[in-house]
Amino acid sequence: MSVSEALRPGTAEDAIDGVVPLRVALPESPEDLARVLADASRERQLTVLRGGGSKIGWGRVADRIDLVIGTARLGRLVAHRYGDMTVTAQAGMPLATLNRHLFEHRQHLPVESAFEDATVGGIIATNDAGPMRHRFGTPRDLLIGVTLAMTDGRLVTAGGTVVKNVAGYDLGKLVSGSHGTLAVIVDATFKLLPLPLASMTLVGSYVDGVALARDVAALHGSQVELTSFDVYAANGRWVLLMRMASSPAATEAQAAEARRLLSSAPTVLSGDEEAALWGEQIRAPWLEGGTVLRLSWLPSNLPAVIALLARLQSRGCRVAAFAGRTMGAGLLRLEGEDSTVLAAVGDLRAAGEVGHVVILRANRRVKEQIDVWGPSTGAIEVGRVLKRKFDPQNILNAGRGPI
Amino acid sequence: MDQRIVEQFRDAIGPEAVLTEPVQLVTYECDALPHLRSMPDVVLLPRSAADVQKIVRICDREGVPFVARGHGTGLSGGALPVAGGVVITLAKLNRVLEIDIPNRRVTVEPGVTNLEITRQVAPHGYYYAPDPSSQQVCSLGGNVAENSGGAHCLKYGFTVHHILAVEAVLPNGELVQIGSPLADAPGPDVLGLLVGSEGTLAVVTKVVVRILRKPESVQTLLAAFNSTSEAGAAVSEIIAAGIVPAAVEMMDAVAIEAAEAAVHPNFPPADTILIVELDGPSAEVAELFGIVEATCRNAGATRIEVAQDEAQRGRIWKGRKAAFAAMGRISPNYYVQDGVVPRTKLPEVMARIRQLAEREGIRIGNVFHAGDGNLHPLICYDERIEGQSALAERVAGEILIYCVEAGGSITGEHGVGADKKEFMPRMFSEDSLDVMQSVRDALDPKRLCNPGKVLPTPRLCGEVPGPYREHPIERAGLGERF
Repeated sequence: MSVSEALRPGTAEDAIDGVVPLRVALPESPEDLARVLADASRERQLTVLRGGGSKIGWGRVADRIDLVIGTARLGRLVAHRYGDMTVTAQAGMPLATLNRHLFEHRQHLPVESAFEDATVGGIIATNDAGPMRHRFGTPRDLLIGVTLAMTDGRLVTAGGTVVKNVAGYDLGKLVSGSHGTLAVIVDATFKLLPLPLASMTLVGSYVDGVALARDVAALHGSQVELTSFDVYAANGRWVLLMRMASSPAATEAQAAEARRLLSSAPTVLSGDEEAALWGEQIRAPWLEGGTVLRLSWLPSNLPAVIALLARLQSRGCRVAAFAGRTMGAGLLRLEGEDSTVLAAVGDLRAAGEVGHVVILRANRRVKEQIDVWGPSTGAIEVGRVLKRKFDPQNILNAGRGPI
Repeated sequence: MDQRIVEQFRDAIGPEAVLTEPVQLVTYECDALPHLRSMPDVVLLPRSAADVQKIVRICDREGVPFVARGHGTGLSGGALPVAGGVVITLAKLNRVLEIDIPNRRVTVEPGVTNLEITRQVAPHGYYYAPDPSSQQVCSLGGNVAENSGGAHCLKYGFTVHHILAVEAVLPNGELVQIGSPLADAPGPDVLGLLVGSEGTLAVVTKVVVRILRKPESVQTLLAAFNSTSEAGAAVSEIIAAGIVPAAVEMMDAVAIEAAEAAVHPNFPPADTILIVELDGPSAEVAELFGIVEATCRNAGATRIEVAQDEAQRGRIWKGRKAAFAAMGRISPNYYVQDGVVPRTKLPEVMARIRQLAEREGIRIGNVFHAGDGNLHPLICYDERIEGQSALAERVAGEILIYCVEAGGSITGEHGVGADKKEFMPRMFSEDSLDVMQSVRDALDPKRLCNPGKVLPTPRLCGEVPGPYREHPIERAGLGERF
């Protein structure tokens, strides 16, 4: 298929914050993708990159979008080297599909997404991760190699397919969290983990966030090694979710130790019930309605974060859901009038207890009144310097992305 | 160097912090790769980030190349001075600034040694995970530059997985905060780019690291095998069983012989020795250790020793860690090579290395991190015999080519530095190297920040890594290499 055949006019379904892109390209090969990108750069077409489209709305509102380049037709599994516990997949492969492949050899990429359509490229570009980051980190921690298409049409690689490798600059890290502003991720190689032999989740319920925070501190200081350690809050109810996944006897022993440390007896879940619970926890911040914020805090500040949420609530901004990782990162879904939500974002950004308050989902009116990314940082300044080299025409997610 | 510029340095950071006497400079002419030497014109000893900033600003204005240096334990010539340039040694930025146990974060200056962090947090039951074998003496700043690993990175990852933020001086003299003690700072992972950039993009002046809870239990076993492929099969079986050991190390007969001659660890007679260490919650270690033991036995282990106490565990590790330096007992000279292959290709690449040794009539010992396929072939030769140095160089280079052909890397942990940059085109296309160069040019347009490292300039064929020579630190018994 020629480049022109891979292009179609944008439709209402392609709209981002109500802005319909003029054209959509769905290249079928890395070479085609690189050509489309080079053409776009030459012609200064403002370009947004799309994987599964699940997080396409993250970012500022664009004035116009000339081109969307999608990776939907670049979804091939390149190689699962199960003996080496590495995998290479094209960027358009859905994360869920990838993990189904890996399951055949009882391995997994321990990254969870709230979105069924989330792709390999998208999770890297957003560095988005779920509860298992407590143990395994975010995608950037598991990424060992990338192929990138540059705006001048070149296909380049960084890293490799081995888990230990310090040759050259780690451009895979650089594009992690770049939100499609520097280059197009064409394929990615990850190190993998074995699926645990056993798994169990303890769930503690609290009426008082302070009591929950005390239990969190007790577990943090203990020898209990958790795979996921989350907190959930909605409607004045507080829940602590603790997953242990190891060998069967070790999982039992860890659970027993955790139970001993908790202030009240938790519920124990395993199997399908356990999987369903974590699925709900991951999706809870993304249910219909409301503005979704991402924020982070120092782990010891959890009690202060809890108090902060109560303050928001008292000012008429409903905390519809709060799903946090106790290591200090979480998502908050707020409901209320635009002005109330905007005031809440302002309050959170001014509060010393939390940082990096980013608006991930909001209606266009809210997004036009406040910078979704928040104040600039040193890394963003350096990122901008690099962007001038990588994207000299400033076409990639220009104005929308963090740099 | 123009006296006028030297005076600027003296005015900026004080005359006592500016070394210009040859006798003072000689210490800085190489790092732990001593066959690459170059005398700097000036060595600068800043005491603060502000000093570093003043120095870099002068360099930027006057067009003086600068090389940042930690404690000089690097194995790839990453801190090799540049003729006509200055060395900025960060040894005096050596304060531990903050220990935050509840949040598991420690803030240090770059001259603090790796082990010092663990020393300071150990009373609270914590440690800093990356453990390069030079950890007693190597600096955190150097670890950040090289993205240092260690024996336990199979389970715990590298420096890049344990650094939350840095403060750094960019080549234009600007002081920036990169990363954050808080998670999820928006934007591209510039911190991840900086870690492992071998001092070519910035000079780090402060580092925030993550510390871990000391594991509840550690168990170590040593298994003897009749062949490397049997030992390799045991490793594959362990991994396939869903076990991620803290460390999996392998030594072949030549390395065992050297270790025995040097530190007498009492290793059983064997063609290959495998060391497997598990750590974590006691129940987990106890349960999985049985599986590891059985797997080794089934794979053909002729003998298995389980460390019964810390002393026995220490003896096993001493034998393993001494292997490099111990080569001196069985060979007048030797190269330490650092290459990586996919773990499943280990038997194939080992066979090629053995054939190479036979064909060239040269002894090669092998010590490696078997869990992640990181090879450290030790190439024995005698420089007094004509042609042997050149032969050893050629053999060392050929092994790197085997690694790349097997889908691996030219360096797993020692870095590219000045030593291996000419091998970079074996791993990366011209376009890829060009994009890496553009990253560098974006931050260092005048090409003053550790020039001549990492990227091949100009292209020269056939340059190979140099021979091993004992570093003064090793001679003094302060550190060993891995």
